[in-house]
Amino acid sequence: MIKFKLNGKIVETDAPATARLLDILRDELDLIGTKEGCGEGECGACSVFVNNLLQNSCLIPIGSIAGADVQTIEGILETDQFKILDECYSIAGGVQCGYCIPGMIMASAALLTKNPHPSEEDIRDGISGNLCRCTGYNMIVEAIHLAARKGDGIWQRK
Amino acid sequence: MAEKITAYRFDRLDQTLNQLNSEDCAIMAGGTDVMVLHKSRRGVPPKIPKPVVFIDHLPELKQVYRNHKDLHIGACCTYGELLEHPLIPIALKNAIQTIAAPAIRNRGTLGGNICNASPAGDTLPLLYIYNAKLQLHSVSGIRTVAISDFIQGPRRVNRLQNELVTEIILPAVLDDESHVIFEKVGNRNADAIAKVSFAGLIRVSKGHIDDIRFAFGAVGPTMVRSSQLESLLLGKTLPLTQTDITQVVTAFDKIINPIDDHRSTAFYRKKVALNLLHYFLSLKHDQPNQ
Amino acid sequence: MNLKDISTSVPKKDHKGKVSGQLPYISDKKLENMVYGVLYRSPIAYGKIQSILLPHLPEGYEAVGADHIPGPNYVKIIKEDQPIFANEWVHYIGEPILMLVGKELDILYSLLKEVTVEFEEHRAVYTLDEAIKQKSTSTMASYEFGESLDSISAIEQGAHHIIEEEFDTGYQEHVYLEPQGMLAIYKEDEIVVQGSMQCLYYIKDALLSALACGDDEVRVIQSPTGGGFGGKEDFPSMMACHVAVAARALKKSVMLVFDRSEDMVVTTKRHPAKLKYRTAIDKDGNILSMCVDIFLDGGANAGLSSVVLQRALINSAGVYKIPHFHAKGYVLKTNTVPNGAFRGFGAPQSFAGIEGHMSHLSNLVKIDPLEYKRKYLVKQGDPTITKGKFHEPILMNDMIEDLLKVSDYKKKKEAFQHFNQQSQRYKKGIGASLFLHGCGFTGSGEKDHIKATVKLVKSKDDRVSLKISNSDMGQGILTTLSKIVAKGLDLPYEEIHYPDPDTKDVPDSGPTVASRTTMIVGKLLERAAKKLKVQWQAGVEQGIVEHYVHREMIPWDEKTFTGDAYPAYSWGINIVEVEVDTLTGNVKLKKVYGNYEVGKVIDERIMKGQIDGGLAQGLAYGYLEKMTSKEGRIQQKSISDYGPPTSLDVVPIESKVFDNPYADGPYGAKGAGELTLIGGAPAVQAAIEDALHTSFQQIPITPEVIIESLWMKEGDEA
Repeated sequence: MIKFKLNGKIVETDAPATARLLDILRDELDLIGTKEGCGEGECGACSVFVNNLLQNSCLIPIGSIAGADVQTIEGILETDQFKILDECYSIAGGVQCGYCIPGMIMASAALLTKNPHPSEEDIRDGISGNLCRCTGYNMIVEAIHLAARKGDGIWQRK
Repeated sequence: MAEKITAYRFDRLDQTLNQLNSEDCAIMAGGTDVMVLHKSRRGVPPKIPKPVVFIDHLPELKQVYRNHKDLHIGACCTYGELLEHPLIPIALKNAIQTIAAPAIRNRGTLGGNICNASPAGDTLPLLYIYNAKLQLHSVSGIRTVAISDFIQGPRRVNRLQNELVTEIILPAVLDDESHVIFEKVGNRNADAIAKVSFAGLIRVSKGHIDDIRFAFGAVGPTMVRSSQLESLLLGKTLPLTQTDITQVVTAFDKIINPIDDHRSTAFYRKKVALNLLHYFLSLKHDQPNQ
Repeated sequence: MNLKDISTSVPKKDHKGKVSGQLPYISDKKLENMVYGVLYRSPIAYGKIQSILLPHLPEGYEAVGADHIPGPNYVKIIKEDQPIFANEWVHYIGEPILMLVGKELDILYSLLKEVTVEFEEHRAVYTLDEAIKQKSTSTMASYEFGESLDSISAIEQGAHHIIEEEFDTGYQEHVYLEPQGMLAIYKEDEIVVQGSMQCLYYIKDALLSALACGDDEVRVIQSPTGGGFGGKEDFPSMMACHVAVAARALKKSVMLVFDRSEDMVVTTKRHPAKLKYRTAIDKDGNILSMCVDIFLDGGANAGLSSVVLQRALINSAGVYKIPHFHAKGYVLKTNTVPNGAFRGFGAPQSFAGIEGHMSHLSNLVKIDPLEYKRKYLVKQGDPTITKGKFHEPILMNDMIEDLLKVSDYKKKKEAFQHFNQQSQRYKKGIGASLFLHGCGFTGSGEKDHIKATVKLVKSKDDRVSLKISNSDMGQGILTTLSKIVAKGLDLPYEEIHYPDPDTKDVPDSGPTVASRTTMIVGKLLERAAKKLKVQWQAGVEQGIVEHYVHREMIPWDEKTFTGDAYPAYSWGINIVEVEVDTLTGNVKLKKVYGNYEVGKVIDERIMKGQIDGGLAQGLAYGYLEKMTSKEGRIQQKSISDYGPPTSLDVVPIESKVFDNPYADGPYGAKGAGELTLIGGAPAVQAAIEDALHTSFQQIPITPEVIIESLWMKEGDEA
């Protein structure tokens, strides 16, 4: 049995150690917020936090995260950080088809937590692993700029 | 039709080495290469044909420290960790920054990049010109090997079944006055496999070239480097003469043999590799950039 | 929020579900006793199936193929040449032959490897060039129109010079973030198909044919769709047939979802094209006549290619009034993945070609390309090349003047020339593109084929719902169409209900394509809403139905290819600055500008989203995204190999939208969804040509193309 912390609760699975974390989240634990866009770590739709670090769950064999602290988008929905991003993505118009968005939100949160006052270049680098085909990125970058300003003080916490 | 998949995750290096000594295993560090290499399709685990040994958590493999002027880097340090570490040279950080994207850099390891031995491996040209050495541990002891001897071909390394790469050693790289450049040429600015890459190092003292090294990536099965051609330039003054530059570039023209593939063409790879070499050799300045 | 000006942006109606990740797309759905399907695909490009040998299938695992199709074995699109499950001939690598169905994906993948199919392999046609040589047998559609070749010949006799140019455009792959997915839910009295789609009724019609069933025995419901761009226009119909046929035969619910690498390699793409120009000019470089030949690589079956060709031809003279014009086009069959709709639908190929060609003509007389092109700009009242007319006001000159000022085009061009003389490694350039897009279905499609119908219903508790078949795939119609109805009813847009389109509930308002949704469907909704407001009775259930009304202008005749091809046009100009690294051939975008005219904007933020997103795709089509086919096999199986832009590959876009209300559009709106992509490639090409003082005859202008051209130039100069 492999045990790890997921969104604050201990979970366990008897899936093989090489099973992808993405599949355990979606198929066993019924969390649909983490999406599959490519299965090869190139699109970011499957982004999660492992021990507070942004990672692609399609590339994580669950054996390697035994005992780790994992967070999906569901795990951050109640936080102030999410609420600011939610608001700013709406104001900036950064959401179109929505498929990339949970991953983008995770990447945005990871970026701002590490770098609460990012430059434009920092922001673009922070989401460079998240593919978006609808928006051309600019309104998402705006959303993150806005979240840095509006959320001043919140990001330094955690 | 369930397949038995065995996996191991020990707390200590010595336990891990014992396992490697008893079975031929697939070693999994960050997994960013292995999980793609053995990827099946959506919804199922990858198809790894051997028992898997996880190593990226082992504390013995995550040390970064100095030994006189040598830099020792633990094989399972992630790119993200190296980017934050004060001892890592700027040029290496710049190369690491071109790898994939943040989420990959939070898992991928330097040891993994080396053992994957892709012809387009992003850290490899720099490691070659740093004359990097690899330390391998096994139940029988420790072995050190030059990176150029360790990597033997695409995805082929000189690692015995019971050995594990534990450290990468960059000799005399700390407090060094050399000027180092790295360029990766890809099809876009992130998440791109290199079509050509180039690393160059030059150290000038009293106006003469004291040391000069260059390595090319993605233009052959392994990195292309020639100490014989490098030695032609030792002792010369900067700026180099057009004759000298042409001589070196022409010589490399003969030994660089890239291929056509779905990413690029042989013509492009060779032309750009030589362009970058020419550019490097034509540089007038030589400031250290550590 | 009751809006004074409809353009004012509002929070989108589906924001919460998308940002939390809890809005379920089709692959997020799980049904009890649902089984998965995986497709066995042809490994050869052209040949005859001789035998199919299946491995032993364990309990609960079954194979579904052509034998299980109650109706005819083809996907109903236009021509009857696309099998649902190929069972005689296969025409491309990746063509589906059968589907294995069962509970565990792992087991299905293993079983798939053990399927053995014997083929009698035949010689395939792999490239457009090969197909052009065999035009007489490989043509799937062709059209010709314009002035007679005899009269053009006569003009050419008196010309100072005849310029001939051949231009190639490549594949473009949609890379919608959500891979294709379809689910068929088995019920005793009906099959319900749900999935990622753009055209609810295309799918229903395909299913009625395949299942040979009654109208009420099949029901289609659109799932939230993670991007389409045309890639989910006709392709999903085949998948819907796969799962529905399986569900019917096995009496189980069947889910079919593609891997990304599968999606990259077998789904429809933008037609690669070859465009030939033959232009007669006088001694001052003025155009006397022009002939354009367009060849589209249709891939292995016709699909929508004839309509793509039509749009490509209709746009073959760009925004120009060319004296004495002739055009001819062909869709040719090759044994490669069938090609289909992609935002622009033939226009991006044409505009890349004509804009490049006009620039090259301007070089001959050493006039700035933009200045040269402006001399030929059509004006209101001018005829179109199909003997239609530009009925509405055209603001292009104002838009151009404005953008020249905003971008400082003339000064920048000069400054870059100076810079380039001093700079060895990096070269800077600035270039412009002029373009339009016809809104609505090509030709008489709206009138003769679609005949859109919309319905507005008001419940007893006065809740208003939109009943239409159009899909929100990210472009925001959930919000914009709600705004249109809200304004007509003088109600807050949040209170307008727009449920997921369901064939049980909604009439056919047409497919979500051709930049028609806002203009055509929106107009019907505007009329319906205004009627409902007048007839409103509180506490009473009411319904208003509106049918498409065609305003006849110059009737479209497909046989002669004449008349008004579109009721209205939207317009645009892009200016792009680039920096080219001559050592690596890499192109960096420095500044991007766009001025657009789409009648009236229904929501400013949503329009900005279409500008940013469409232009990112259009620019990348010009220099970044490259897909190749070798011996019938697509070579780029992963997103990184194909190279769509990341956040580090784009720059902020400075854009402005001009008002020019169109009477037959809702609150004056025309179409915008495709317009914004079209100008990208020609603008970036113009900028690269300006930087390098070189002409290119292909897109994408990749680093490989640039390095080769620089090397040839070096050789010429040596």
